[in-house]
Amino acid sequence: MSIDEARVVNRSPSGGERQIVAFSLGQETYGVDIASVREIIPVQKIVPVPRAPQFVEGIINLRGRVVPVLDLRKQFGFEERKDDPTQRIMLVEVGQEGIGVIVDSVSSVLRIAEDSIEEAATVVVGDEIEYIEGIAKVGTELIVLLDLTRIISDAEKRTLREADLRAAVVQ
Amino acid sequence: MKDTRDEFGQDLDLLLAEVGELLAVTEESLVELEKSPEDAALIQEVFRVMHTIKGGAATLGLQEAVEVSHGMENILDQIRSGERPLTTALLNVLFQAVDWLKEWKLALTDKRAVPPNEDLVETIRLAASEVPEKGIVSGKAEPDALPPVEIPDDTVQKLDSAVNEGKNVFVLTVKFHSDAPLLSVRCFQILTFLEDVAEVVASVPSREEIEQDRVSDTLVVYITAEDGGMGAKELAGANQDVSEVTVEKYRAHVQAESSGFEGSETGDSRDEAPKLEASKVAQPAQDAPAPRRSDLGRTVRVDVGLLDFLMNMVGELVIDRTRLSQLAAQLMRSPETAAIGSEISSLAAHLQRTSSELQEGIMQARLLPVKSIFSKFPRMMRDLSLRCGKQLDFEIQGENTELDRTVLEAIDDPLIHILRNSVDHGIELPEARVAAGKPPRGRVILSAQHEENQVVVKVEDDGGGIDAERVKRSAVKKGLISEEAAQRLSEKEALELIFTPGFSTSDTATEVSGRGVGMDVVRANLERVNGQIEVRTKLGQGTLVTLRLPLTLAIMRALLVRCKEEVFAIPTSSVEEVLAMEDVTVGSVQGKPAMNVRGKVVPLISLDGALRDDLWSDNGHRYALLTRSNDRPMALGVDGLIGEEEIVVKEMGHILSRLKGIAGATILAQGDPAVILDVNRVV
Repeated sequence: MSIDEARVVNRSPSGGERQIVAFSLGQETYGVDIASVREIIPVQKIVPVPRAPQFVEGIINLRGRVVPVLDLRKQFGFEERKDDPTQRIMLVEVGQEGIGVIVDSVSSVLRIAEDSIEEAATVVVGDEIEYIEGIAKVGTELIVLLDLTRIISDAEKRTLREADLRAAVVQ
Repeated sequence: MKDTRDEFGQDLDLLLAEVGELLAVTEESLVELEKSPEDAALIQEVFRVMHTIKGGAATLGLQEAVEVSHGMENILDQIRSGERPLTTALLNVLFQAVDWLKEWKLALTDKRAVPPNEDLVETIRLAASEVPEKGIVSGKAEPDALPPVEIPDDTVQKLDSAVNEGKNVFVLTVKFHSDAPLLSVRCFQILTFLEDVAEVVASVPSREEIEQDRVSDTLVVYITAEDGGMGAKELAGANQDVSEVTVEKYRAHVQAESSGFEGSETGDSRDEAPKLEASKVAQPAQDAPAPRRSDLGRTVRVDVGLLDFLMNMVGELVIDRTRLSQLAAQLMRSPETAAIGSEISSLAAHLQRTSSELQEGIMQARLLPVKSIFSKFPRMMRDLSLRCGKQLDFEIQGENTELDRTVLEAIDDPLIHILRNSVDHGIELPEARVAAGKPPRGRVILSAQHEENQVVVKVEDDGGGIDAERVKRSAVKKGLISEEAAQRLSEKEALELIFTPGFSTSDTATEVSGRGVGMDVVRANLERVNGQIEVRTKLGQGTLVTLRLPLTLAIMRALLVRCKEEVFAIPTSSVEEVLAMEDVTVGSVQGKPAMNVRGKVVPLISLDGALRDDLWSDNGHRYALLTRSNDRPMALGVDGLIGEEEIVVKEMGHILSRLKGIAGATILAQGDPAVILDVNRVV
């Protein structure tokens, strides 16, 4: 395939397009791949779990299953916000498991052309960059595309480390 | 990564168990066939068995067994279709093949290398080709296995070179629903997902073609994966637009041609399905009313997933029942509704009986004798002791004790590890034993028995025991504990150190036990199924490792307690007594709260504080639960008692699976989740 053809391919709407679920957290808009989102539910009673990692808000009862719920605000260092009726729990699939993520509000499902997504490195710096798949430009708005699997596996690793450390401390 | 391997191991175990049963049936059938070689039903039965084995082996990429069973199938097919009679010579070949399969099964069970099959395959091939015209036709009738989609030459080269590099390449065929929207997007998604779990070697259509929207409702992906492509299959199958996913092993062209079979086995399972259907339909006509000799009709093979599902449903029933009793209690409180209340109450009682019998039935169905994992140990221990130059008598007791399948799976690896340790670190060399006044042959006893509502599995050896001082030194050296802290440890506490991550007494990992897993992993495995492990040792006399395992898994009786605003469930089995604070005197020992319980002084720890890792915080509690922590008596202060209930244990997902003192979660009657505490480790 020649270079010219490749460009055409990237522009074709069916070729390089992604569907994302966009949601807001604080002032920013984030997006995750639609394939990883199972459902979006209103915030319900979240029961805290002792000794859980800090970003885990607690557990909920999802039709008889116990599902952990994460607060991305904590993960990203935003201030907490409680009892906001627009808040939702977005259930995402990570590995084989369902995990809830609290978001401020879910705005829409968007189609984004692959070529409107820029590498995160060009826009942001810092630790967060690892969780960011890219930055999509939709009109004037910037949407940060998150890699939830990455966030969670990273968080898990930290938990395991903490657990191991605790276990290693012998009184 | 561990998960996928376990999954594969599970699939393999399942396959091997099935193969064992099937081969037993086949042997019987072959012996019968020797007497009545015309018996079409028997031939059909053996054919069916071979087909099943071939299919199972192909799914897991066990090529050798596929070749053998495929060869047998060919011969049987010729006989079945009347092309040739079943001669003694052919029967002998079939017997040889069954013998080889038995060997193969044993080898895989013991995790040994599988026996070579070249000679046998050649014998089978020769036997099958004795009827040239028909034989070849029949061989050709097995359609070429390569996928219906044409593969570009460069892709074939890529695939073949991957195979030649020794990789296992699998063909994942993904079929989409005909009305699936945006096929190219779906194809792209699946390719992208697959890259997380497997290495994608090539695909038809290729990535470029997909980008150009040149897609059909079938996507063929060639991957290499350690798990036989099962993870990839599951992943692709999870997409709602996918109607069907199949995974097969890919065989390089060069190999396929030299193996002696027309067409590789990869496609057979698909291509032969209709054929088998046809023969099934045809069968009643030729099926003589021969009495069935196998007792296959009495048992069915059930997917464990189905049992789990049923168990979950029972769990839901139990929750409903609990809620019903609560409603009844409420209704009975007021005179107008008391009659209805008591009726509901008796209904709830009935529901309880029904659901607990249902539960028991399902639990029964999940039970397997420990023999199913113990049986491989004698061989393992023999090999180990030989390799270590030690003499060993290994004895198994109580092998018919039954355990839940999940528990059995969870203790398999730990037992291997513990048994290895007993040979490698426990039993001394013969000279050393004689010098210590012991018989030269060491002794290891593996036993299983019921004790109350637990199954206790013990590994006992009469070896050198564990040297607590050496354990301490090793822990200090590895930086797990400070010198001063080590000095203060009692012998029992020092032994606890072997469960610390990163600990291993052996200074250099030996070939036998140095496998990177330590006792910390063993303990974690056991705790996953609510089991406990305890090590007792006497220097110079031996070590006893005790595993305490729950009989049942999913449902337990628990005390619901309130602590601040939260409700926690504590397994009733771990609470010895509940005391109201007003009835006891709380004093203090060295400034720390303690209670006097019938003359015994027990530390009083605040549950709320313990969970915040601040043991001695406020003690304004109303009740104290008398329990044990790390095998020492302890009183746990709580704010309120809600009652005792049957709760269903639910997992909380990966992130929350390893929290100290947290055993899982449950859903309370009113629908809120609650955390289940493992009080023994809460402090």
